[in-house]
Amino acid sequence: MFVFCLIKKGDSMIQVKNITKEFVSAKKYPGLKGAIKGLFSREKVRKTAVDDISFDIAEGEIVGYIGSNGAGKSTTIKMMTGILRPTKGQCIVNGIDPSKNRLDNAQNIGVVFGQRTQLWWDLPLSESFTILKEIYNVSDEEYEERMNFLNEVLGLPDFFDQSVRTLSLGQRMRADLGAALLHNPKVLYLDEPTIGLDLVVKDKIRQAIKDINQKYKTTVILTTHDIGDIEELCNRIIIIDEGRKIYDGGLQELKDTYGKTRKVTMELRQVKEAEKINWTEKLGTTEDKYQVTTDEEKNQLTITFEKNEIQISDIIATIMEVTEVKDIQIQETELAEIVKEIYNHQFQSEEIAE
Amino acid sequence: MKKFFKTYLPFTGNEIKRNLAYKGAFYLFVFCSLFGSFISYYLWKAIYGSTDGGAIGGLTQNQMVIYVFMTYVTSSIVKVSISEEVSEDVVKGTVAMNLIKPIDYRFSLIFKGIGSSVYRFLMPGIFVWIGVELYSCLVLHEPFTGIVNLVLYLCSAMFSFFIYVLFDFCFGMIAFFTTYIFGLQMVKSAVLSFLTGELIPLSFFPAVFQKVFDFLPFSSMVYTPVMIYLGKYSGSELMFVLARQVIWIVILYALGSLIWKKVTKRLVVLGG
Ligand SMILES: Nc1ncnc2c1ncn2[C@@H]1O[C@H](COP(=O)(O)OP(=O)(O)OP(=O)(O)O)[C@@H](O)[C@H]1O
Ligand SMILES: [Mg+2]
Repeated sequence: MFVFCLIKKGDSMIQVKNITKEFVSAKKYPGLKGAIKGLFSREKVRKTAVDDISFDIAEGEIVGYIGSNGAGKSTTIKMMTGILRPTKGQCIVNGIDPSKNRLDNAQNIGVVFGQRTQLWWDLPLSESFTILKEIYNVSDEEYEERMNFLNEVLGLPDFFDQSVRTLSLGQRMRADLGAALLHNPKVLYLDEPTIGLDLVVKDKIRQAIKDINQKYKTTVILTTHDIGDIEELCNRIIIIDEGRKIYDGGLQELKDTYGKTRKVTMELRQVKEAEKINWTEKLGTTEDKYQVTTDEEKNQLTITFEKNEIQISDIIATIMEVTEVKDIQIQETELAEIVKEIYNHQFQSEEIAE
Repeated sequence: MKKFFKTYLPFTGNEIKRNLAYKGAFYLFVFCSLFGSFISYYLWKAIYGSTDGGAIGGLTQNQMVIYVFMTYVTSSIVKVSISEEVSEDVVKGTVAMNLIKPIDYRFSLIFKGIGSSVYRFLMPGIFVWIGVELYSCLVLHEPFTGIVNLVLYLCSAMFSFFIYVLFDFCFGMIAFFTTYIFGLQMVKSAVLSFLTGELIPLSFFPAVFQKVFDFLPFSSMVYTPVMIYLGKYSGSELMFVLARQVIWIVILYALGSLIWKKVTKRLVVLGG
């Protein structure tokens, strides 16, 4: 019974099962001749934007959904919000299938598409909030409470009476986030919420997302190209590439697994001496496990090496044999590097698949 | 029911506010369209002047004056075009922002349309209307329009509004299949000004054409309420034209639902 309860409690908020989206469009040919040809040809181009993706997300999680341009992130979000119908597969959000029951699902979700606004362009921001209050059937007390909270975390009063089209990008993004949260949704979808924002506003948005997640246990799914967002907010990331899921797991795990290399930079008394070292022999390893560069002007020597092959103490000991070490700096591989390499297909696919 | 209105009425209110924000452009629109009505007023005056002063197509010269300006009033409150918005929403992908909300897209458009209609009724519809009435009484020495005709007119004009909006919704849906309907819009407005009786009263057409018009929804959009206003229908005929309007509302509503269902299945939201 106890076990059953545990499982029940960890029940997932979002279940995505083998979801696939295929776009079919008429084939286009270049030039005027092509345009005319296109009128008569029935040729179709198929494009699989999302290819058999599955995952489960528990209540209260903040998940980073990342991948290179055109990987299929926005398409997945659109399917989860009920805007697009999957070609195959299914997703269930809080017990509801968005493609079958869009209206009920819409009551449970908040969405921000960074490149668009859901606000009423020609009207003061305050009007948008009043109309949303009615649409989502938010009671007066709830509205009051929510607005106090949102004003605090997003600083909306500064521009609350301005018309939406006069807002700056950062202000509009804050307003849009506020609008998505007015009805206290169970799930919040954010498609590039920090695109084009300055560092201060970015911080504000991130802090707001964190606060909301903590206060209301809102489940958040976030796509972004800003690694900072991921490091600040997400405890779990899903990486997709060309429509396929290639990683799903913790952030630290990703770093541990793929951050195989380390970089040590040393300032030496005499770099010339160090250049003579035969590293392969001294470290008892092969050429491809490390890489050495030197900077004679700064008297610096940098070694990038695989951390499970080579011990850092061995490197230092070897150097100390020939010259004196004045300063030393050790760096783990940054997340950005790892992600970049994954996007560049530097890892073998079976290596990444869990 | 209460919740329904609570959800959608803000769309009406906001549309009125939005119209107020774009007053300048609106005045220009009003001026241009009224100008058109005056041209046709003088045109008809010349036509009637060149005949022996009898009725043409069942309308006397005085009735023609009322017809021209009441057609203006009616079409300005009835022909609230939503198809441009539908096609723009589709082409730019902003329809997505409607789909993430727990609202019916079509109802939100209809209630927005009501906002525009109310605004146009107040500005300048009612003034033109009062002007027409005063002119016909004081200058043309016709009696005031009776209260029954007035109420029936308003009722019929309301039906007309729904027929037009529901039709225009279906029309706008074409954008889902072509993603470009600008050219079709031009064709639509030209054809409609003919078929609704805006340009020439439908009673001027040969009997065969009139039979065809009876089977199209367009005569119910402007012609019917204006003819009711002129007191051209009575008894069972009146019942028939009103019932026909209601039937068109039902048909176009059902058609719109059907298309919308098809469309959401293959909806492609562009961008992002
Ligand atoms: N309506 C459409 N018709 C045809 N192909 C489409 C359509 N919409 C998207 N695609 C294609 O599907 C793929 C995934 O697009 P999607 O917008 O999901 O990418 P994304 O991961 O959000 O990228 P970005 O980071 O650039 O926003 C792209 O290759 C895109 O060209
Ligand atoms: Mg995208």
